[in-house]
Amino acid sequence: MNAVRFGLAALPRRPLLALAAWSVPEALPSALLGVAVARAVDSGFLAGRPMVGLAWLGALLLAAGVGAIGARQVFRRLGDVVEPFRDDLVRRVVGGALRHALAGRPDDGAVARLTRQVEIVRDTYAGLVVVVRGFAVTVVGAAVGLMSVAPVIGLLILPPFVLGVAAFVATLGFAAGRQRAAVRTDERLAATAGAVLAGVRDVAARGAEEHAAAMVAGPIREQAAAERALAGTAALRTLCFAVGGWLPLVVVLAAGPWLVRRGLTAGAIMGALTYVLFALQPALSRLMSGLGGSGLRFVVTLDRILTASTVVVASAPRPVAARGYEVVLRGVTFRYGPHAEPVLLDLDLTVAEGDHLAIVGPSGIGKSTVAGLVCGLLSPASGSVLVGGVPAAVRPGTRVLIPQEAYVFAGTVGENLLYLRPAASPASVAEAVAAVGAAALVDRLGGLEARVRPDELSAGERQLIALARAYLSPAPLVVLDEATCHLDPAAERVAEEAFAAREGTLIVIAHRVTSAERARRVLVLDGVRPDVGSHAALLSRNPLYRDLHGLWHPAPPPAPRPPRLPRPADPVDPLNPVDPLNPVDPVDPVDPVDQGQTHVL
Amino acid sequence: MTTASFGAVARRGGRWLPFVAVAALSGTAVTLALPAVLGRAIDAIVAGGGADRWVALAGGLVALGVAGELLGAYAGTATVATAAAWLRERLVRQALSTGRRVDAGDLVSRVSANAVDAAQAGPTAVSVATAVLPPAGSLVLLTLIDPWLALAFLCGLALVGAVLKAFTQRTAEVVGAYQRTQGRIAARLAEAIGGARTIAAAGTVEREERRVLEPLADLRAEGARTWQVLARSSGQAAAVGPLVLVAVLAAGGLALAAGRISPGDLFAAGRYAVIGAGLGGLTGTLAGLARARAALHRVAEVLARPAVQYGQMRLPPGPGRLEFRGVTVRSGDATLLDGVDLTLPGGAAVAVVGRSGAGKSVLAALAARLRDPDEGEVRLDGVPLPDLSHGALRAAVGCAFERPVLVGGTVADAVGLGLPRDRVRGAALATHADDFVSRLPLGYDTPLADAPMSGGERQRLGLARAWHAERVLVLDDATSSLDTVTEMQISRTLTADGRGRTRLIVTHRAATASRADLVVWLDAGRVCAVGSHAALCDDPDYRAVFG
Repeated sequence: MNAVRFGLAALPRRPLLALAAWSVPEALPSALLGVAVARAVDSGFLAGRPMVGLAWLGALLLAAGVGAIGARQVFRRLGDVVEPFRDDLVRRVVGGALRHALAGRPDDGAVARLTRQVEIVRDTYAGLVVVVRGFAVTVVGAAVGLMSVAPVIGLLILPPFVLGVAAFVATLGFAAGRQRAAVRTDERLAATAGAVLAGVRDVAARGAEEHAAAMVAGPIREQAAAERALAGTAALRTLCFAVGGWLPLVVVLAAGPWLVRRGLTAGAIMGALTYVLFALQPALSRLMSGLGGSGLRFVVTLDRILTASTVVVASAPRPVAARGYEVVLRGVTFRYGPHAEPVLLDLDLTVAEGDHLAIVGPSGIGKSTVAGLVCGLLSPASGSVLVGGVPAAVRPGTRVLIPQEAYVFAGTVGENLLYLRPAASPASVAEAVAAVGAAALVDRLGGLEARVRPDELSAGERQLIALARAYLSPAPLVVLDEATCHLDPAAERVAEEAFAAREGTLIVIAHRVTSAERARRVLVLDGVRPDVGSHAALLSRNPLYRDLHGLWHPAPPPAPRPPRLPRPADPVDPLNPVDPLNPVDPVDPVDPVDQGQTHVL
Repeated sequence: MTTASFGAVARRGGRWLPFVAVAALSGTAVTLALPAVLGRAIDAIVAGGGADRWVALAGGLVALGVAGELLGAYAGTATVATAAAWLRERLVRQALSTGRRVDAGDLVSRVSANAVDAAQAGPTAVSVATAVLPPAGSLVLLTLIDPWLALAFLCGLALVGAVLKAFTQRTAEVVGAYQRTQGRIAARLAEAIGGARTIAAAGTVEREERRVLEPLADLRAEGARTWQVLARSSGQAAAVGPLVLVAVLAAGGLALAAGRISPGDLFAAGRYAVIGAGLGGLTGTLAGLARARAALHRVAEVLARPAVQYGQMRLPPGPGRLEFRGVTVRSGDATLLDGVDLTLPGGAAVAVVGRSGAGKSVLAALAARLRDPDEGEVRLDGVPLPDLSHGALRAAVGCAFERPVLVGGTVADAVGLGLPRDRVRGAALATHADDFVSRLPLGYDTPLADAPMSGGERQRLGLARAWHAERVLVLDDATSSLDTVTEMQISRTLTADGRGRTRLIVTHRAATASRADLVVWLDAGRVCAVGSHAALCDDPDYRAVFG
């Protein structure tokens, strides 16, 4: 009953008091109902004074008018109770979803949770407040009215009524369990059916229709059983209503002759029965459908939200004094699970400041894993990953990672570009845009002030924006994880060369093998033994690399490139680096990139 | 057999549906009889004699009502659960038997939600038939007690209707604005989740959180407006709520004063006024019926889709020769393949090339009998594909796709779809899928949901899934997402297939075409040329196909 506690704790004091205060006038009609009927009959219609009877009925209408004012104010205050609760849920869902996604466990249901489930909780929360409060108001009103008609009748009616209500409340936990089971089986059915039906073509191609139908048959049976089990809940509710709603009526009737002998009038008995049938029964019925319907939906849905958005927050890494941004991997082993084959085994790699490294290898071999380790997104099972001598995870400002699926958010072009360096000057923005080859795109979009929506851009255009943003960032270590895969080879070249010429270290996870030719050093991952070397050295000694290269260039391979002069390792403070847009040495005189291509920058 | 009529679904509810009807009818009888009996009991109690009989009758009616409700609840649930399971199973089987890609999300909503609503067909039909009885009966009984009561009732009802008119529109407006703001937050969240790696590496999660939540203040303002609209309508409802009851009690009180009716009659009249005002509930019941009908329609749409029909024949021994004879395929007004005549020699690696929209994938789908031609026929070792039995066809022909959809609980399931583990492993080894599967947290037993895969990895599993094929392997652009290295490894496995299978390989890559025994060049649904890559390469138009 985690959700119940959470919901109760969320009730704010002051709006709740206002709600209670305005409930008093709202209770008037139900309090007056039986009294008015009793008086109208006894001292009006049966006493030969019909106008008195009509006046009592008029009073009932007047009370309804007063009650209406109360009801109106109650619903206005309801917003003050419900809206902050909703805000809190939205914050939780967003925070939880973001942190789950960041931890590499993206939660596909988060967006649905934000719109559908939060709304269900908001509506049912409001519904519960209305129903429970309305029940209390009616019952208190009716009890007061009953006692004023004849206390003895009140004592006959109220005990069985209270008993019925108590029994119903006691069965709520059981009902919630059944309901939760039904929701779970429904979700399992939807998930299984969804997975199977998405693959109808694939299943047919394999002739596995029976196998696939059998996969869904189990959840269908479970769901039917769960639905049947709900009948028990409905039956219990009916029994509770019989005790709380019908038993008082039968008791009053059975005691009727005795009551009349004690001097009770026809009006008093009618008034009492009016309270039972016109006030208590409807109130109980609303409470049951409210708690049994909205209430269970509230508990089940809120539980899901709370469970899904709970994040185990790792203690924030303390900033550690670091020197430079040399990347050092020592004896790094990484696996995705304790029983899995290691993706990386005992990998040693040093990437000096200013280096340009390309990583090539078959898909799934662990290239992106290296990127994740270097950027501190993954932790090795054993070994160490150090950037500037401290663990990679503690130095987010040092690096910028551009993954295959570039991140562009709805906002202006400028907001997207300045994301990692909010204070950049317009000139440096323009220079970054030009450098990575995004100038035409930014122009077409309408400049920095223009608004973009990520779904209106192509994958390649999103990559260009992410590249310009990374170029502009102060981070000295740039990791391109297939970040140019949606660009054509020429555009890819422009972007990669821009980063190569930028101050700092560049690590490229290559989608095309041509990326390796441009790098100073290449890491070949082939699943057995990583091999690091220059393009030329690998061509001569690594069969996989040679093969790969031959495939890409059916013509004889180009002459090995002359090695690039290493730059002096600048003692740059990564948090306050030299402006990468005004590098000391923008064009490397021996950079052999112009194999018939124009050189940018 | 494939129709799912209202009656058929109602009958599928099984033996419990009659009990639903019995419960509903007894409930109606109790509802209508009880006020009259209570009135008599009150009169008898006040008169001081003969009350026992009426009190006992009232008690009996209450007990009957409770019993009826218990029966109704149980029978209704059982009926719906049984019918829903029946519909769900048929929906899934029918969708699978069509063999064509479907919109899975849409179909799941039919299986999950529509099937239950449609299964309500029986119970809702019963409730519609009985729902009109209590209000109509109340009006009749009011008239019997005193005609003026009925008149007062109708006047009160008209007044309530007039007052409660006209605020739904404003509600819709306010709710629309609220949902749009909510959509803005959701869109921002979806973007940020998509950019998780970028955000994680940059350490900017708090900033992202603020950005996503920025429209929250607007949302609260919109939310406050929805409550104000609701407050007004609740106020109105509370004000006019007792109008009908008071009108009937006033008319009844005057009749009581005039001696036309007894106190018990007045009490019964008040009760009938409330039951009669329940006429509004009838719209809810009718809405339920409409929902069941609409859901049934959505279910029936799927059940009416034609299933693929298979023959009885087995394959004679043969090398796996594929013949396309005068094959034409249309889709709407478009002709996708136009009179294609083609014979692919058994055991050959055949590349199918051409621009986008040339008809390559259609040809592949025909070869795997994932669709049938509108004209002409496709034969495998001389047997028309539709004559082959389901088992014979699917054992002989396998097909891998550009975007394979993996079906199964675990990676092993997804590859095997019922095949034993050693064959799964063998197929995965042959298609270089074993490399990355063995690196997954639980290897082959890793649940698919916990095995995030790139496009290339999915393609390799898709290829492994088709690997069992005995005579023909159809690859519809099935290695396009692989990086250069992996593509090369698999391409070698394929061209050097030791099992002598015919391989029909749709490809965009010149390297693949160059390794094939034969290249089929398609353009605009026709065969442009058939020959070796080297021979075709002289034609600049052919070279242009590869960009």
